[in-house]
Amino acid sequence: MRGRPNLYTEYKSEMGLFPTTSKKVSIALLGVVAILVPLNAMPLMGFLGDAGWMVLVNKALIYAIAALGLNLLVGVAGQVSLGHSFFMAVGAYTAVVLGGEAGKTVWGLGLPMWVWLPAAGLAAALVGILVAPTAVRVRGLYLAFVTLGLVFIGQYLWRNLGSVAGGPTTGRPWPKLEFALWRNMDPIISFTSDGPLWWWLTPVNWLPWVHIEEMSGEAKTYFFVLATVVIFGLLAKNLMRTRIGRSWAAIRDRDIAAEVMGVAEAKGKTQAFAISSFYAGVGGAILASVIGRIIPETWDLFLSIEFVAIVLIGGAGTIAGVYLGTFFLIFTPRIVEEVTGWLAAQVADAGPFAWLGNLFIRTGPDDWIGIVSLDAYGPGLSIFQFNIVLFGVLIIVFLIVEPLGLFGIWIKVKNYWKGWPFSY
Amino acid sequence: MTTTLNQTEIPDLSDAFQSVAWHVRDWAQRTPDRVALRDKDFGIWQEMTSSELWEHVLTAAHGLLALGVEPGQVTSIHSEDRPEWLIFDFASVAVRAVCTGMYPTNPMAEVIYLLNNAGSIVHFAEDQEQIDKILDAPENSYPTIEKIIYVEPRGVREMTDPRLMFWDDFMEMGREHRASHPGAVEQRMAEVDPSEVMTLIYTSGTTGPPKGAMLTHRNVEYGVEKVLNSPGRFKGDVGEGVDDEKLTYLPLCHVAERIFSAWSLAYNGPVLNFAESIETVQVNLREVQPTIFFAVPRIWERIHAGVHIKLQDASFFKRLISGFSLKLAKYIGRQRVNNGGNFTFGSRIAYMIGYPLFFRSLKERIGMRHVRYASSGAAAIAPEVLEFFMGLGIPLYEVYGMTENTVVATTNFYGRVKLGTVGEPFEGIGFRIDEETGEIQMKHDGVFAGYWGSPEATADTFTEDGWLKTGDVGEWIDGTHVKIIDRIKHIIVTSGGMNISPSEIENSLKASPYIKEAMAIGDGRKYVTALIGIEYDVVGNWALRRQITYTTYRDLSEKPQVIELIQGVVNDSNEKFAHLEQVREFRMITKELDHEDGELTATQKLKRGAMDKLFGDLVESMYS
Repeated sequence: MRGRPNLYTEYKSEMGLFPTTSKKVSIALLGVVAILVPLNAMPLMGFLGDAGWMVLVNKALIYAIAALGLNLLVGVAGQVSLGHSFFMAVGAYTAVVLGGEAGKTVWGLGLPMWVWLPAAGLAAALVGILVAPTAVRVRGLYLAFVTLGLVFIGQYLWRNLGSVAGGPTTGRPWPKLEFALWRNMDPIISFTSDGPLWWWLTPVNWLPWVHIEEMSGEAKTYFFVLATVVIFGLLAKNLMRTRIGRSWAAIRDRDIAAEVMGVAEAKGKTQAFAISSFYAGVGGAILASVIGRIIPETWDLFLSIEFVAIVLIGGAGTIAGVYLGTFFLIFTPRIVEEVTGWLAAQVADAGPFAWLGNLFIRTGPDDWIGIVSLDAYGPGLSIFQFNIVLFGVLIIVFLIVEPLGLFGIWIKVKNYWKGWPFSY
Repeated sequence: MTTTLNQTEIPDLSDAFQSVAWHVRDWAQRTPDRVALRDKDFGIWQEMTSSELWEHVLTAAHGLLALGVEPGQVTSIHSEDRPEWLIFDFASVAVRAVCTGMYPTNPMAEVIYLLNNAGSIVHFAEDQEQIDKILDAPENSYPTIEKIIYVEPRGVREMTDPRLMFWDDFMEMGREHRASHPGAVEQRMAEVDPSEVMTLIYTSGTTGPPKGAMLTHRNVEYGVEKVLNSPGRFKGDVGEGVDDEKLTYLPLCHVAERIFSAWSLAYNGPVLNFAESIETVQVNLREVQPTIFFAVPRIWERIHAGVHIKLQDASFFKRLISGFSLKLAKYIGRQRVNNGGNFTFGSRIAYMIGYPLFFRSLKERIGMRHVRYASSGAAAIAPEVLEFFMGLGIPLYEVYGMTENTVVATTNFYGRVKLGTVGEPFEGIGFRIDEETGEIQMKHDGVFAGYWGSPEATADTFTEDGWLKTGDVGEWIDGTHVKIIDRIKHIIVTSGGMNISPSEIENSLKASPYIKEAMAIGDGRKYVTALIGIEYDVVGNWALRRQITYTTYRDLSEKPQVIELIQGVVNDSNEKFAHLEQVREFRMITKELDHEDGELTATQKLKRGAMDKLFGDLVESMYS
């Protein structure tokens, strides 16, 4: 109702994905920004369009696809899982077997993307269904151990199935993100190669500061991944308000109570594992394809923990939180690196922030103060180690202080103004 | 729908008297798809269009015909506010039956009294709770009732009483009757005479048993014409209309909600939104954001108290802003009060500053964001409370009226508000204040036809020259506005011979958010004392903040700190009164007063007789 946002005259409006005008407007604005970024047309954020940053943005978006799946499983259905990297690997190897080129030692059918990408999701989902029954028997920490086991089983398998995974130290090349009708046909659309715009994106001159004749491969990949993320995000968001999503929430809040109320627990958990693994499979396949060549060690426990970190830092059970979490996780190391570099420069040039740099960075063998050491030896952490410590600390801080993650902070800010002039 | 109405055998009603039912039918023909009312069900405000509403009314009217209801026979309703309430009421009007409503809180003894006094033959009981009040009574307690219609089947299906009938079955019977006797209801509607009794409204009865005031069709028409549609009440004189939203939440059996909701819907066509219950009024208000809102002082006091508690609980920065804004509000309120309710230049500037900071969001939170006209009536309200809401920019007016004159008496008009008065008499009505007794007396078309079945009581209510005696003592302020002193029966005469209005003292006390009930005592005594009941949640919250632990209402009431708190309120209030009117001593009422226990009327007014009996010892202790 106009002027009466709380007066719902039908369930449709109450359950709407974007119920208010302001939400619709902000989503539309976000969409415009998302399109302008790779075209180098975004004022202030133009740097993101550069190839180096674009690779990071793409990585974040791909992570987001998989993280959406883990969020459904952990955040919505409440099933703790450390096995997400295993399901991603299942998707990735399904993709490479179906879509990769056959070689002397490796299998490959050379099928086009429209076959291998959905198949990657489906194969992972199938494995998810096989794993689900354990979740009915064990829960909480024990479930975490079971899924942890999956990661090590996976590692063993990939290392020894050379015909699937390639050599243990070299891996094998993955099929590219290209849309072709069938094997050995020329791709109609390529999402990876630099070059002219696609036929439906004629050279752009629609904004005074935008002149685009051709696009980089990274930008094209970006558009493909962005579309996938948007679709998968909408699906997840929609799923949460359907019968399935609500049954998951019931199971999460108390599985026994849910069952007493008539929610089929085993069915719900199986669905959760299946759908979550589908997301993981698709995410894993795209990730491998974009990186191009992956060794079996990639799908390790640390990857799983990264995804748990995304879900927890972003905000368990929320879609927007997944996006916040992935960008935070992917961008923070880079930002730390940039800041460290800048601080080092400050120390070197004796700039106004040199004192901060002196405190933070260990610049040489004589410098005994500093958390991060720029040379490989001596007391202090490397940047890589520092990032790991930082995430560990952040996960602990978020779990204790802000269980709803970055999204929870946003909710708090929003509620502060929503409650105005009261506090509740 | 319209084709049925145009069938040849259906009488043409264009020349018939335009009763409430006639208007409902008229809306259905003129604007069939317009939303007429909303009812919250399963979390959604389900809408009913005006043609759907008339469809239901017509079917229910046929149902009443099928039950053999004759003109002048009585039907009754015992239910919370819900669309079926209106449908059954309008249907009764359509078939020229006399419909009367009862408060859902009426206990069994009162139900027996009311239904027999009215002689109801078809009774609409909402659910098992209300049905039990009939079926659990001694046999033959209700000799006249032939049918009991219920809408909530839960717990009723097992009952075998032959008089019970489910609403859906009743409507089905109506549909069959309608198919076999098309036009029968319209025939009845065509025969309506304006002097016929349309409804019985039972007065709440602070003293003695309730009496059924007979209101005729003409009374109602006149009441709507004056109370709802008098020019000059709204800003810009844009009267009540189809664009207005109302919240229906006070008992519909009371004349105030009846005229502000039911009859307003029929005559002026605003959208009625039925609140889920009286407990959810604040939530529903926020959802509906009505444009026109009527409330009794009790509700205004509650909102007022609620705002203050929640502001106290807010975080530091919010308290800072609200503290500043409340100062602005106080200034604005003061300015408007001194200026007939109008903004002055200074107060407009203050309002412009406070609006984005505070007023807008506060009004949204309490559901008054879109209110363009709000009124308070049915009891006296403390001027402080009125001033507070005026300071927030809510156009709140005090109105005065009673069942016996279809609430046509006085109102405050836009731009001519005088605080502490109930406004000016409506134009063209007979209105006088008796010089000897100070009693307000009235004579106009809205004055009722008498009490049902009680010619003696009726005769007592009129003067020898035929004016209605209201029983209220009033006085003129500046020759134009009327101030109500009190009910004649309530005026306290101290042993020193001084006349004191207890309600003024009581309202001044009740303006404090901490006090829910207050009863001033002093008739025939040397000085004035009071019985005071606390507002449980407000004082509870206050105690919590000071880490005073308590268990029950009684325990909290008797805490020395609480008594000290109330003493402070009493002292502040006393400053406004002359020495002899000051409350010298008070005692706490240690139980929450309740309708079912007989201490309050259904409209939450104190029953003085019952109070005297219950708390006589406490009262004596203050004079010994």
